[in-house]
Amino acid sequence: MFSIFKKLSWFFIENWKRYTVAIVLLTIVGILDVIPPKLVGNAIDDIHLGAMTWEVVVKYLWLISGIALISYAMTYVWMYQLFGGAFLVERKLRGKFMGHLLKMTPTFFEKNRTGDLMARATNDLKAISVTAGFGVLTLIDSSVFMLTILFTMGFLISWKLTFAAILPLPIMAMLMKVYGARIHKRFTEAQDSFGDLNDKVLESIAGVRVIRAYVQERADEKRFADMTEDVYNKNIGVAKIDSLFEPTIKVLVGLSYLIGLGYGAYLVFHQSITLGELVSFNVYLGMLIWPMFAIGELINIMQRGNASLDRVQETLDYVQDVQDTENPKWIDSPEHIGFKEVDFQYPSSNVLNLSDINVNIQQGGTLGIVGKTGSGKTTLIKQLLREYPAGKGSLSIGGVPISDLTIQQVRDWIGYVPQDHVLFSRTVRENILFGRHDATEQDLEQAIELADFKKDLEMLPDGLTTLVGEKGVALSGGQKQRISIARALIKNPEILILDDSLSAVDAKTEAKIIDNIRKEREGKTTIITTHRLSAVQHADWIIVFEDGKVVEEGVHERLLENGGWYKEQFDRQQVEDSSREEVGA
Amino acid sequence: MNVGRRLTEYALIYKKIIIAALLMLSVSVAAELAGPFIAKKLIDDHILGIESTWYETVEGKEAVSYKGKWYKREQYFSEGETRKDDIRILQVGREFYFVPSTVSFDGERSVNSGEMTITKGDESAAYPAEKLTGEELLRFYNPEIPKIIKLIAFYFGLLVVAAFFQYGQRYYLQKAANRVIQKMRNDVFQHIQKLPIRYFDNLPAGKVVARITNDTEAIRDLYVTVLSTFFSSTIYIIGIYIALFILDAKLAAICLILIPILVVWTYLYRIYASKYNHIIRSKVSDINAMINESIQGMNIIQAFSREKKTNEEFEELNETHFKYQNKLLSLNSMTSHNLVGVLRNITFVAFIWYFGGASMGVGSVVTLGVLYAFVDYINRLFQPVTGIVNQLANLEQALVAGERVFRLLEETGTPVEDEKMSRYDGNVSFEHVFFGYKENEYVLKDITFTASKGETVALVGHTGSGKSSIMNLLFRFYDSNEGKILIDGKDIVDIPYQTIREHMGIVLQDPYLFTGTIASNVSLDDPRISRDQVEAALKAVGAEKVFKNLENGYDEPVIEKGSTLSSGQRQLISFARALAFNPAILILDEATSSIDTETEAVIQEAMEILKKGRTTFIIAHRLSTIKNSDQIIVLDRGEIVERGNHDELMKQKGRYYQMYQLQQGSQGDMAG
Repeated sequence: MFSIFKKLSWFFIENWKRYTVAIVLLTIVGILDVIPPKLVGNAIDDIHLGAMTWEVVVKYLWLISGIALISYAMTYVWMYQLFGGAFLVERKLRGKFMGHLLKMTPTFFEKNRTGDLMARATNDLKAISVTAGFGVLTLIDSSVFMLTILFTMGFLISWKLTFAAILPLPIMAMLMKVYGARIHKRFTEAQDSFGDLNDKVLESIAGVRVIRAYVQERADEKRFADMTEDVYNKNIGVAKIDSLFEPTIKVLVGLSYLIGLGYGAYLVFHQSITLGELVSFNVYLGMLIWPMFAIGELINIMQRGNASLDRVQETLDYVQDVQDTENPKWIDSPEHIGFKEVDFQYPSSNVLNLSDINVNIQQGGTLGIVGKTGSGKTTLIKQLLREYPAGKGSLSIGGVPISDLTIQQVRDWIGYVPQDHVLFSRTVRENILFGRHDATEQDLEQAIELADFKKDLEMLPDGLTTLVGEKGVALSGGQKQRISIARALIKNPEILILDDSLSAVDAKTEAKIIDNIRKEREGKTTIITTHRLSAVQHADWIIVFEDGKVVEEGVHERLLENGGWYKEQFDRQQVEDSSREEVGA
Repeated sequence: MNVGRRLTEYALIYKKIIIAALLMLSVSVAAELAGPFIAKKLIDDHILGIESTWYETVEGKEAVSYKGKWYKREQYFSEGETRKDDIRILQVGREFYFVPSTVSFDGERSVNSGEMTITKGDESAAYPAEKLTGEELLRFYNPEIPKIIKLIAFYFGLLVVAAFFQYGQRYYLQKAANRVIQKMRNDVFQHIQKLPIRYFDNLPAGKVVARITNDTEAIRDLYVTVLSTFFSSTIYIIGIYIALFILDAKLAAICLILIPILVVWTYLYRIYASKYNHIIRSKVSDINAMINESIQGMNIIQAFSREKKTNEEFEELNETHFKYQNKLLSLNSMTSHNLVGVLRNITFVAFIWYFGGASMGVGSVVTLGVLYAFVDYINRLFQPVTGIVNQLANLEQALVAGERVFRLLEETGTPVEDEKMSRYDGNVSFEHVFFGYKENEYVLKDITFTASKGETVALVGHTGSGKSSIMNLLFRFYDSNEGKILIDGKDIVDIPYQTIREHMGIVLQDPYLFTGTIASNVSLDDPRISRDQVEAALKAVGAEKVFKNLENGYDEPVIEKGSTLSSGQRQLISFARALAFNPAILILDEATSSIDTETEAVIQEAMEILKKGRTTFIIAHRLSTIKNSDQIIVLDRGEIVERGNHDELMKQKGRYYQMYQLQQGSQGDMAG
């Protein structure tokens, strides 16, 4: 049941000073706080006995003021330390969480939904934080204070009576265990459904245009309402147990109290304790009420914290799908990229997504990859980016198997322009500099030039400092693609990968960009996947994919001679353009 | 905006539950208060009571026999009943003694060879005393035992009742709180549907999510702990003040100063706490947004090795959040129960000063009993006060979170209309339309054209020429600044968004897929779209071949944003979606840019059949794909520069001709 404290022990050990200070001060304050009322009692006695003088009054005033001041200062410190620890653990775990997300590859994000991850990073961390703050406080209250009072009762009055009075404690422990387990289960469910809700909202916002376009507002509202109903039910499930804690403890504490009184009376009757002792015992029993409540509170908080920590830990424990080897090799430049009998299958797939791939790219060469939608072009590229664990066969760079190189090393060589143009909520400038943050103005300008983005820049409201992405202006697909390309080009990478990244630009721009790339990237490797054969005609080698296999390969002319799929597509694209001759003539 | 009032309005929706809960709370508080009184009665009357005066009497109920005589406690005598000599039972150490005479005062007791001496200050008195055996003592206690048992049973019964009501109270309050939050979430979500698309242009999705889920979650405590603490504390405080006034009106009146202090305190606290809470909540929202954006762009972050930098930026947010949490904590540590403790001690100081000083003057102003009772009440008074101030933090958090939620609810929107209209023909005409996303920056200028049912209209132009803006207007994602857009002769501004979109379909360049299956993404789970329609639509766009390898066919799961599918596959699904809804107006915005030529050809063929009976708009960069259109509109910087069909435009040798030539020309270059 206390496993959350064990799971968080690294944190408590790391911050042992903070917690020691807090707990010691908390205990001292607990004692100090009893003194002023006692002093007031004494003062009243003095008044009663007529022994009050100004000196005595002043003495009392100083004493109480002094204690008040010390107690105030100490309370400030323990509160700040104890609850500060709670915030610290939240911050640390959140940092860890984000750091972990940044190491994750697509497989992870396929298994974990964004909204749920967001919920874990906010809502769940909050529950954990409460455990590290208020949870510790209740732990101290329920252990230190309770034991102190119990021992006082035992030593000063009667062990027999003390034990009799705490007879309900084991029952309480048992019930708390049962409640605790239920709370854990139900709270996990509630947090899970909160995560789902987060997801739902995220999707509805991200897909708002589709929902509006297809008039699905009502249906979406209905789905959302169903989910809030689910969240409601899960939370009511928690509330049902949560509400049991206090009454149960109240009844058991009352039982303790009654046993104390009843048995105490019996002991008085049998002349084992005095009447005065019974009265004091009664006072002590009254003092036990809060610590006993604290036990319930503690169990409740701990189980919630535990449930949330499990959810967070589940994410943190996810082992990177792709890891560096223990003894990575280093090479200076990626001289040659070779796929040899490479087979690959997505974790979620049933068929081979790449099979028996044999491709060689020399440094400085250009590889064109064409083929139907879903034939495996992007999958091949993902092998180079090491987004997934390697399949069978060997993929080597510079003669070294890619798995012997660090991921970092390989990625440093690559400039990647993905199919989906991802821009961040920053300025155009920052988005391009994302590729290389130490780039000069000249580099920037050149990258923009090469990506043929210059004339668009003039049309943007604030030029290079225009905000784009989620918060910024709506760019057209073509503009986004070209910023993406500039981002990759500014890196001046050894290997440039254009993954169907010219689909949204017009043919003229495409030709211009391809031309620029050919000129500027002399001696550097380029990989282009496309549906428009015009973009790869110049390539040193072109491979044609179908169902994950290379069905044709060669240079443009050779492929045309082959008379296969490539030729067919080329003709089709030519036929579409047939009017060229008619009109152009 | 009055956040408090709106939060109350929400609570009022569930007022029955809340009132029931508060009534239960009152009962359980009353039962709880009764507890100590019973215990006190039990101890004072029935256990300590043995030391009260006994009188000799005749045998009877509650009478105890001792050495042949019968005795009964004073309080058990009925009026007029004859009493004989009084005796006392007194305890010295653990032993009890029978004292057969009147004891005039109590004090320190001692027993020496059959004589009990009682000393109080300078006074001293001696009485004869007989030690009682255990059996004899029990006899004296005998009349009390059934009473003790009765009281214990009563106490326990009360406890169970209190527990029962307490459960009810807590459960119902939580029920109400969860209902309120659910209602709030549903309201916000429904409101989101009413907001113009423009609203989403500048607001990251993660932030909207934080408002709908996290902020509403932060309000929950308000309706459970804050509400119940304020309620029960107020009852306690009022009760204690009443007791104080009964005790001594003047003193009680002085103690009323606590109320304005509390009010000022709350006011001052809110000024600072509100500032910190605003920052904290907005950071939570930023954190959400950043996590979302980072996950969306993870492949780019990783490909460009920006993990460290991204993490640093995230840490900055995290750190600011932490910093303000600590500032708030510091404020709370300086105030809350800590400051109440100080207030309490100040009261004590004032108390001693006042009464200590007074006692040195002419005699005591008040009796000792009043003094004790007063201290006791003051001590008790500070407990509910502590309860209240400890909840100020939760209250403030709820108010700030509520403000964020309500601000979103106050954004002006257009209600979702359920009104349907029968399928229109789809004759579209634009009449002198001007439009700009920002004021005075028109992206469309004086656009006029007509498209009739069955026609295919292509929009051509460079990136940024305004093609997509025309579509945005037609869809009423935005409204034009000037001019009119008519569908079948009706101004679309007069038709509700939902009604007009009912018969439109769109395929975006950047298709969005939802979590579900391929089939559910085509039908959007709309009951009007049958499974057959879904399959037919998918077949029409050539999806059969593309998805043939999937184990579950069209029931293959699609995850968030369809990220396991390629752009082309996503476009195909989105295309099928548009067809399945059988729209009167179909808009294809670069819909096939990521689809291979072969599949595209399949779609083209299908389109020939599909475009019958509807108006189709196509935006494409590849001029080859729109050559067969009935009408081609060439746009440049927001203006229509040319129009006509392919042949006409080629003959004009204008801009279209140039563009066409350039496209072909460049291809020629490449080929050569």
